[in-house]
Amino acid sequence: MEYLIVRFPEAREVQVDGVPHGRTNIVLQFEAGIHDVTLGPPWNFAPLAQRVLLLNTAALDPYRVEFRILPPAAIPISPGSPP
Amino acid sequence: MTLRARLGALVLLSVVVVGCAHYPLNTPLAAGGDPAMGYRFPPMVVARPDPADEIFVCLAFSGGGTRAAAFAYGALQRLRDIDIGRGGSRRSLLDEVDCIAGISGGSFTAAYYGLFGAQTFERFYDRFLVRDIQRELALSTLNPVNLARVASPYFSRIDLAGELYDTTVFEGATYAALAKRRRPFVILHATSMANGAPFEFTQDEFDFLGSDLGSFPVGRATAASSAFPFLLSPVSLRSYPPAAGFVIPPDVARALESREVNPSRYAWARQRLDLMAGKDEKWLHLLDGGLADNIGLRSILRAYDRSGGFIAQRINAGHIKRLIVIAVNARTDPPEQLSRQERSPGLADVFLKTATVSMESLSADTIDYAINRQGEREQAQTTVRLCNQRLAGCGAELFPTFAQEIRTCFVEISFEGMPSPAREELLGLPTTFALPEDTVKRLIEVAGTLLDSSPSFQKLLRALRGEPAPGAGVGERGNCS
Repeated sequence: MEYLIVRFPEAREVQVDGVPHGRTNIVLQFEAGIHDVTLGPPWNFAPLAQRVLLLNTAALDPYRVEFRILPPAAIPISPGSPP
Repeated sequence: MTLRARLGALVLLSVVVVGCAHYPLNTPLAAGGDPAMGYRFPPMVVARPDPADEIFVCLAFSGGGTRAAAFAYGALQRLRDIDIGRGGSRRSLLDEVDCIAGISGGSFTAAYYGLFGAQTFERFYDRFLVRDIQRELALSTLNPVNLARVASPYFSRIDLAGELYDTTVFEGATYAALAKRRRPFVILHATSMANGAPFEFTQDEFDFLGSDLGSFPVGRATAASSAFPFLLSPVSLRSYPPAAGFVIPPDVARALESREVNPSRYAWARQRLDLMAGKDEKWLHLLDGGLADNIGLRSILRAYDRSGGFIAQRINAGHIKRLIVIAVNARTDPPEQLSRQERSPGLADVFLKTATVSMESLSADTIDYAINRQGEREQAQTTVRLCNQRLAGCGAELFPTFAQEIRTCFVEISFEGMPSPAREELLGLPTTFALPEDTVKRLIEVAGTLLDSSPSFQKLLRALRGEPAPGAGVGERGNCS
């Protein structure tokens, strides 16, 4: 198994390969290989999604993915649309 | 009417029947259908844990004809009788079952329980276990109308078997009826004749065929799961062009991009794409599920491993507190005759052996894999917990943790667990859809005996009831505490 942690300033749903998988800032387990990672709504985060390769991780050293909070003026109405 | 006219009418009728006889086609998915609908495990909402997920129990029923069906039925009966309720409220372990994987003979018990729940214990014994299905199928084939039908290149004995199961066992139920019962989620398995890939009767799989599982008869799915090579021909499904709006699921698409990193995930994704029709017409011919996995564990392991898997999702969300997998393995080991003869086996032996010899060769590896996967999770949790205990002692920043520390348990019951001479007697049972009633009764009883004598299972029951554990016993597997 491989391990992933999604860092975000808030507790937020994490979606991996298009389906919900727990929350930010906790350790998640996945199969080795490429995965798409994003967060659940609201869409006040960037980047919109990240593609990661999980390999040779450990529960004590999970792969780290970070999303940042967007300022209110930069929040799109829907994912990918202009603010 | 003269004899000549009668004969002429009979020939004409036969020609019409032969010409019309075609196996029932699976239906295409309607355009604009909701992709979330259909026979799938209920979707998960991270913020709203389903209490049914806390103790997550999956059963795997192996192949083995009526022997496997009766053994699986015995296991269900024992689970029904086990009370794990606390504080005076009764709750059976069977009430906690969330998914059942069924192969061949085991698929009948899995599907019947999935459809009829507690009524299984009133009806399945007479409806299936003590019937001579093989004789009924033979008689059905000898019916003059059916003789004409099986002469058609588009209709064969497996289609008659599907009709027999559909009408006399499953009461004409389709997957739409199965979908109305949310749990347990039943995964019936077959094997693609083209590439030996496992095939699961779920809407996720049917999406690749552009087909609607909802209208598909459960009896026909069990026929596919038990289409034993040489005795029965395959069940055929049509692969339609993908439904409008169908996109390849992201876990499949990403798996195709990381072949070297994870070859088994890549192979699984490749096999899903192979189901899809291209520009030319395409059919999928399905044989006995035991050819790809005769123990039925692999679909459960895929649900645990794959990012789209319903178990993986619930573990990461912290909804599962205890994961229990019980494999009911009706494997036999009859006395081997080929290695007792000097002459080389004939072509008939070679044909039969090449089709079936692989059926059990992967089961032990699959069981090892299941145990190791669960152990890996327990080990990771323990490492994080122990490190954090040390760090907490010196006021250092702690490592991030999992959403939930889960307790895992793997139990396998098989005839190997019986003492001699019952062990040898059971291991010598044939694979058939006709067993004497006393043998059926014995198999039902043996399943309960084996669960009651399994150290892992007994340890699990103590844990579920909150009883103190007397310590680890010899031969215990998994954590189960």
